[in-house]
Amino acid sequence: MLFGEAIGIAIQSLRANKLRSMLTVLGILIGVSSVIAVVAITEGLDRYMSDKVLELGTKAFRLQRTPDIITSNSQWLEMQKRKRLTMDDLEAVRKACTLCAEVGGQVWTGGSVKRGRVIQKNVGIAGVTENIPRIGTIRELMAGRHIVHGDIEAASLVAVIGSDLSDAFFGQMEPLGKEIDVDGHMLKVIGVGEKKGVVFGESQDNFIFIPITTFAKLYGSRRSFSIQAEAASMANFEAAQDQVRVAMRARRHLTYDKPDDFNIETGESIMELWQTMTRGIYVVTLVVTAISLLVGGIVVMNIMLVSVTERIKEIGVRKALGARRGDILRQFLVESVILSGFGGAMGVLGAAAFSFLLATILGNIMSANFTAPVRPWAVAMALGVSSVVGLVAGIYPANRAAALDPVEALRNE
Amino acid sequence: MTSVAISPALARETWSGPIIHTEDLWRTYQMGSEEIHALRGVSFDIQPGEYVAVMGPSGSGKSTLMNLIGCLDTPSRGRYVLRGKVVSEMNDDELAAIRNREIGFVFQTFNLLPRATALHNVELPLVYAGIPKEKRIELAKRAIERVDLTERMTHKPNELSGGQRQRVAIARALVMDPSILLADEPTGNLDSATGEEIMKLFEKLHEKGHTIILVTHERDIADHAHRTIHIRDGKIEKDEARKKA
Repeated sequence: MLFGEAIGIAIQSLRANKLRSMLTVLGILIGVSSVIAVVAITEGLDRYMSDKVLELGTKAFRLQRTPDIITSNSQWLEMQKRKRLTMDDLEAVRKACTLCAEVGGQVWTGGSVKRGRVIQKNVGIAGVTENIPRIGTIRELMAGRHIVHGDIEAASLVAVIGSDLSDAFFGQMEPLGKEIDVDGHMLKVIGVGEKKGVVFGESQDNFIFIPITTFAKLYGSRRSFSIQAEAASMANFEAAQDQVRVAMRARRHLTYDKPDDFNIETGESIMELWQTMTRGIYVVTLVVTAISLLVGGIVVMNIMLVSVTERIKEIGVRKALGARRGDILRQFLVESVILSGFGGAMGVLGAAAFSFLLATILGNIMSANFTAPVRPWAVAMALGVSSVVGLVAGIYPANRAAALDPVEALRNE
Repeated sequence: MTSVAISPALARETWSGPIIHTEDLWRTYQMGSEEIHALRGVSFDIQPGEYVAVMGPSGSGKSTLMNLIGCLDTPSRGRYVLRGKVVSEMNDDELAAIRNREIGFVFQTFNLLPRATALHNVELPLVYAGIPKEKRIELAKRAIERVDLTERMTHKPNELSGGQRQRVAIARALVMDPSILLADEPTGNLDSATGEEIMKLFEKLHEKGHTIILVTHERDIADHAHRTIHIRDGKIEKDEARKKA
């Protein structure tokens, strides 16, 4: 019998039992759509992360007391014992790192900033050296000027403000030269940062930059800060990090067998950590998918057994008319494969819709352009796997149908 | 007289010996520890173009004999030669091919596929013979024409009357131009007027040269045949030619 005929018979029989066929493929549908959707979304997140991390700059790295991401409580406790980084460390690193184009320092706190009766809360208040805006992704200004070396020397009461503050305090008015109240100190606005938008639900424009010396005056010098550096060239990226590492180890008197008691973070190291995390998500998804496909396969097998039982008479008639074992076997195998392949196809559509929906929602939350691309390889794999599931699930029922004795089958009512 | 090949696709060499030759057919079933002999040494020949009724009460073994003649089953002992081929020694797939090629079944309950049109039902044996689509449709249409159902070709079985359904089944039996038409109580599910109509159709096919074997327990129906083999307790009780009226 020709395959075309087997496909025709299969489609006819599936159409005759629409609801049953739909319910049968549900397991496969869910399995397939979850794998495609998760692949799409993780890839979307990956892409988003790498975009964001690249903002740190490819040649830039950060020396800080603790890593960006701490994975356990004991690690956190361990980190608390580490020494703070100081202005002296900054000076030492600046001297030691001859391969660095820039070495700067930055120290953060959060607080409220006022002007008159307007209060802007949760403002990121950063004490910076004058070169910080030039390290990594360049910070551009909409108006005014950056903090300069003289401001640092004099610990002047000046601030570069983010566009959120400018909007809140001044609206359409000129912000430059006006004063704002930072924890009781009046600072003069000298520049306004360019709008950067929202990342992970957090505004990137709710900040003020003040000279690092002014910061010490306002908040004391006990806060640990991060040292930001940019290698002179990509070729020297690793070597520049090594210079910094060696200098710091010397300052801390670490013997060769001791680990670093500070962290150097690069965009790459953050990306690696992120990918380790998403790999976990992948594995979990794979397991969930395998289970749902297994269950889906069992359901398909069950329904195929029902289908065979219902059609014993038909099988008898076909055999009487000359169908060989192989013809009957093929007929039911094709039906099983089409059934679960159909489930796979529906799963692909479901996944596409789901990914699009989620990407839109996530995109809205992060107010960023977030895409979850449905990959052709994921689609091909999903269809392939669901067809194989159908084939495997169909073997036993199809064999039972093919092995029926024609006399017995014809007697069946 | 042999039947006339209706298509070159199904052409084959003519055959002059007996269509059916059986020698000492036994069929034994194992029922638990008991052996049941449904057939106990049946021998007969059927010549091309004969119109034979196999008659007997239920439990006589006539259904078992029909299954053997129809190549749905093989004898426990004995020899069955169909058109020169030794059927009693064939495996399942060879039997399937023989059924497809040599036997045209007509069942009491018609056994049409409910979801397929009349045309597609008639096409079915051609599908298993591996004949390409266009040729299949041409042959199936011709077979339907022979039972006068051309205008009902695209109807499904539930849109047809009992008599029409049986005519579709007969067209399906004819479409491969088989050696024998094997009809099992073909009028059993029909009212007597319709039954009569079907029997007239068989008569017409017989006149055209088809070999027909009719399995029945009804005297009236068996009387349409030109020869009657009576089966009782697994043996041939009587094998008589109809007296010419």
